[in-house]
Amino acid sequence: MNQKKLKRTGMIISITAILLLIAFIISVATGFASMSPLRLVNTLLGQGTPKEELILFTFRLPRILVTILAGVGLAISGAILQSITRNPLADPGILGINAGAGLAVVFFVMIFGSGAGTYIYILPLFALCGGMITAIIIYLLSFKKGEGIDPGRMLLVGVGLSTAISGAILTLASKIAREDYDFFANWMAGRIWGDDWVFVLALLPWLLLLLPLVYRKSNVLNTMSLNENLSIGLGVKVEKERYILLLIAVALAASAVSVSGGIAFVGLMAPHIARSLVGPRHQLYLPVAAMLGAILLLIADTIGRVLLDPSGIPAGVIVSIIGAPYFMYLMAKK
Amino acid sequence: MSRLFTEDLRIAYGDQVIVKDLNMLIPDGKITAIIGPNGCGKSTVLKTVARIIQAKSGSVFLDGKQISKESTKSIAQKMAILPQSPDAPEGLTIGELVSYGRFPYQRGMGKLNDKDRNVIEWALKATGISDFKDREVDALSGGQRQRVWIAMALAQETDIILLDEPTTYLDLCHQLEVLELLKELNVLENRTIVMVIHDLNHAARFADHLIAMRAGSIVKSGNGKEVMTKPVLREVFNIDAEIGIDPRTKKPICLTYDLVSSNALAQEQIS
Repeated sequence: MNQKKLKRTGMIISITAILLLIAFIISVATGFASMSPLRLVNTLLGQGTPKEELILFTFRLPRILVTILAGVGLAISGAILQSITRNPLADPGILGINAGAGLAVVFFVMIFGSGAGTYIYILPLFALCGGMITAIIIYLLSFKKGEGIDPGRMLLVGVGLSTAISGAILTLASKIAREDYDFFANWMAGRIWGDDWVFVLALLPWLLLLLPLVYRKSNVLNTMSLNENLSIGLGVKVEKERYILLLIAVALAASAVSVSGGIAFVGLMAPHIARSLVGPRHQLYLPVAAMLGAILLLIADTIGRVLLDPSGIPAGVIVSIIGAPYFMYLMAKK
Repeated sequence: MSRLFTEDLRIAYGDQVIVKDLNMLIPDGKITAIIGPNGCGKSTVLKTVARIIQAKSGSVFLDGKQISKESTKSIAQKMAILPQSPDAPEGLTIGELVSYGRFPYQRGMGKLNDKDRNVIEWALKATGISDFKDREVDALSGGQRQRVWIAMALAQETDIILLDEPTTYLDLCHQLEVLELLKELNVLENRTIVMVIHDLNHAARFADHLIAMRAGSIVKSGNGKEVMTKPVLREVFNIDAEIGIDPRTKKPICLTYDLVSSNALAQEQIS
């Protein structure tokens, strides 16, 4: 790589990081009780009033952290799916993996209730099972012997399955108590509901475990995004790597949406924008995609909170307002 | 004994047998061209040799060992494959793409060391694309793009390079350029080159060894003079060809040809 590109890439990474920081500060500062950046720093340093501390540490910070973590998870999940299917339109939401995870969340809440208890730590696991089963069904339905996976067919199967599962969620949810029904309606619209520290703790280990694993596979992802036969020729165990990476992508998306609600399009947009900024080499593009995912979701959640006080518009709705046209633009371009 | 050969290879898609009991020998340090009509199984054989397709029975041997039993990375250090018209992701630069050829030598993250960088530089130079290395692959014309893929295969530092129809979709000039490049690599670097190719005259001109296939079996193999003959082409392609000698290259050349009419075939069978 030449010096000019290296410099440009370094700049893009720094700018993205600064944007994330700005989005973070704005998100903390806005809401029912606003907080100036100066007060924010003071409060973070432990010199705030009890009321400020309550707002920051109990209400806002955990919600913001959950949003950032979910954004990162969804973006990387989308990036992996796009590379292993060689389809720039792949996204855990569009493919129905999020909906599958959502169905598992329904079962979870039917069993344990929607309050946050100690059970919450196994929620991501539940979501993972739901997401995995969905992914396997998509895989089986879009796989043709001798041809492999056709990206177009995979997308269609995913969209269909996603709609079917969403219907199943609503049907199931309508059979249970009114407040639980509201919970699911909100979940499906993509309202960040996990706004407590336990949700941060439930999500964080997954990312800490999976993100380094994905990053170590940058090279494999690079070759897999070229051409399947070429990857085999280069000595990649394509079948095995595809299963592992698919599992990781599902785990990332499922754990994210288990606490964030069914959010689509972040996994589509973040990798796509990142690629157009720093190119498709995964060593560079994965970190940028991760930060962009966090920024996107954080901005969407903040806008949603401000626009319709106090209940707010779900972040998933805001993301979709930007994401759906973006998706159509990509479709048209293809 | 050749480094690369197949033994009783049987390849099938489902129940449909494409290739049966194929014993193919690839001479070392030579250019081998596999020719034959569409659907004769030539690409299938190449893919099986490259371990992209699994054989139903029989084996491919490389350096005396069955490739199905060796680690895929160690094979990738000996043999590269260039599939038919591959696509590069949008925005990838030529330098980056060629660097992916170092995969078989890398562990973990894949940071390039000095050796890797030298090999990449050399591969870019050998294919004459050093000046474009920061350009995006999509921005190139078909002929230049094929050079980039060959450079990537070179970066893999293998003695054997397999190519599936490397000249398809290229114009006359670029077809020749690619074949000249392969010849150069063969002569200067002593690389063994195996290619599936449609153009008979190109095959006869550039390959030292030709393998003519029909319906999954080898009809004839040998040098250009042995394979480019009226009876062989008649049997393989069902054509009545006029073979001459290229005044410039002194290699056999198919001057013109006609379809063998079913009438003529019938008459032949009677007599």
